[in-house]
Amino acid sequence: MKRIILSIAAMMCITLGMAQNAKMPDNINLKSLDGKTVQSSVIQNYGGVVILSFWATWCKPCNTELDAIKEVYEDWQEETGVKLVAISIDDSRSAARVKPWVDGKDWPYEVYLDQNKDLARAMNVGADVPYTFIINAEGEIVWQHKGYQPGSEEELFEQVKAALK
Amino acid sequence: MLAALTMAGGASVMAQGLLGGQVTGNIQLDGQISRRDTVIGSEDVPQKLLSNARADILYTNGNFSAGLRYEGYLGPMLGFRPDYEGQGIANYFVSYKTQNFAVTAGHFYEQFGNGMTLRAYEDRYLGIDNALRGIDVMYRPFRGIILKGVIGQQRYFWESRGLVRGVDAEVSLNELVAAWNEGKTRVTLGGSFVSKYEDNSEVILADVSGFKLNLPRNVATSAVRLDLAHGGFGLQAEYAHKSQDPNDLNDYIYREGDVLWLSASYSKKGLSANIQAKRVDNMGFRSVRTEAYKEMLYINYTPAISKQHTYAFLSMYPYATQSMGEMGVQGDFMYKFKKETLLGGKYGTDIHLNASLIKGLDTTRIGGRGTDGYTSTFFGTGDTYYGDVSVEVSKKLSSKVKFAATYGYVVFNPIIEGHAGDIHHNHVVVGDLTWKINKKNSIRFEAEWMGSDSKYDAAVDDKRCGDWIMGLVEYNFTSAWFVSVSDQYAYKDGVGNYYNVSMGYTKGATRLQVGYGKQREGIICIGGVCRNVPASNGLTFSLTTSF
Repeated sequence: MKRIILSIAAMMCITLGMAQNAKMPDNINLKSLDGKTVQSSVIQNYGGVVILSFWATWCKPCNTELDAIKEVYEDWQEETGVKLVAISIDDSRSAARVKPWVDGKDWPYEVYLDQNKDLARAMNVGADVPYTFIINAEGEIVWQHKGYQPGSEEELFEQVKAALK
Repeated sequence: MLAALTMAGGASVMAQGLLGGQVTGNIQLDGQISRRDTVIGSEDVPQKLLSNARADILYTNGNFSAGLRYEGYLGPMLGFRPDYEGQGIANYFVSYKTQNFAVTAGHFYEQFGNGMTLRAYEDRYLGIDNALRGIDVMYRPFRGIILKGVIGQQRYFWESRGLVRGVDAEVSLNELVAAWNEGKTRVTLGGSFVSKYEDNSEVILADVSGFKLNLPRNVATSAVRLDLAHGGFGLQAEYAHKSQDPNDLNDYIYREGDVLWLSASYSKKGLSANIQAKRVDNMGFRSVRTEAYKEMLYINYTPAISKQHTYAFLSMYPYATQSMGEMGVQGDFMYKFKKETLLGGKYGTDIHLNASLIKGLDTTRIGGRGTDGYTSTFFGTGDTYYGDVSVEVSKKLSSKVKFAATYGYVVFNPIIEGHAGDIHHNHVVVGDLTWKINKKNSIRFEAEWMGSDSKYDAAVDDKRCGDWIMGLVEYNFTSAWFVSVSDQYAYKDGVGNYYNVSMGYTKGATRLQVGYGKQREGIICIGGVCRNVPASNGLTFSLTTSF
């Protein structure tokens, strides 16, 4: 048992040294809202920055965050060209409601379904949403954040601007 | 165990040896110091401190990845089965994935269609993990066709049990037929077949004759599904069928099972409507027919069609599908009154309506163990199990203040949790106000009221009975800290006073949360994160991080 703990500890040490700017996975299958299977490599902003936000219809803070960003999204896009991609982790209980939900909310975002949580697992999202990443033009994860508190979007935007540099 | 050790060692060598790859992971540590409280139902804890820990380590190099997960339950937390006690490597895999081909060996999570024939998944807060350990293959021979195959055993605490084999095919006609690529109508068809194998040496006697039952060693489920979309219209359907499967859930009857699920929706900018209907009959499909833990070893999943409420009193009666039989409908409607209209005001107004009704099947008993059990009519319904209606109006009152008001009516039949009693009828009112003081500070107030016709009865011991009020104040400051204070109090016909003080700190992907007080089991959303928690009384803490 000690060996396991030691080897995990060793791996973490290596990891902390190596973890700078992990690449976002590009080979994970997702579903688009029109039922197509696509690879996570479709998530990109052609030289720009991507905000990747994991959410679910039943998650209040997720909805508050995506609603709040919607208010300022046009300004953000104008200033930085940033694009927000929302990944729903709703399971089959609510996955069929995601497309109507996004339309009903009038969200201007690109949305994909990750019902089996393949992308969430590959990106170490854990069990709690919302969970937000900033991906730079090279496809590297430059910032990540768990949870949403009113005003968190201000810091998110600061990080988007930093990712442009 | 040895294999896991070798794996752990191996992966750690790889991480050092294979340059160009990357190591990422996430760690979670939850603990509680709980005291007995008979009123709320928290248990006595001889160890004083209970903890669940896990660390997922993932190595990725191009299309190749490998992972392992440490789990430790040194005194599993309340709500977890005692069988989790222990620690070790609970999950490991290697995987190679490209657009047209993917293979995973080791533990994997997979779902066919809506999960009615196969869903291997985990919910770490509920202590459910039915990951398959075996091989998972995906192959895309042409654009528009995806084939999947799995074979494996299901995780059962620290072991793997049963044997599950399955195949799935999905065809996207628009991708397959070049002329339809840009078509407005999109059609996806799918089908799956899953079989489990189990030895049949156990002796189970028929009710009347006393003969030993001839138990099938192989049980199969198969399903077909359709996903159709045209502009704003969408239609999804799946039908699944299960062969004879006498088991503990259906009390060893030979009736075949089936489920039909339908979802239709229409949406456009600012408006959406969705209707779902479902009929389930004897569809509990598990790896081990005699398994006594009701949540373990499920191979399939039948989605519940009621809404997942998040306010405390509305989610007090979470509904789970009765896989033995139920029929339900659900409707959901969302509308956004635009800015600068009469009802929209300066910032617009959102309205969300939801209703669901779930009933038992209309069945006629024809015998006990060893017979077909019962017959049922397709459209006939029996007892009401669950129903709800909710209206939520949310509105931004000024640039700093947001308000949401919700009214809900919930009907709940305790029989679905296995105990008799009168049906509960509850009215719930919720007010939720967020005031953004400035860029970095905000305060949120939530008040809830529940009026119920149910009365607490010590013999049944349902802690949700009676009339309740609740208040919550949450203060977020510097975008990183939060403090929240809440209290739920039964002021009439009920028992319990659930007070709670929590605080937390978030920095990037790291989050620490500490709470003290009495916790009811259910979904809790505070400090900007939602999670499922068991009943407890005392101190709880949770640390999560990703790297």
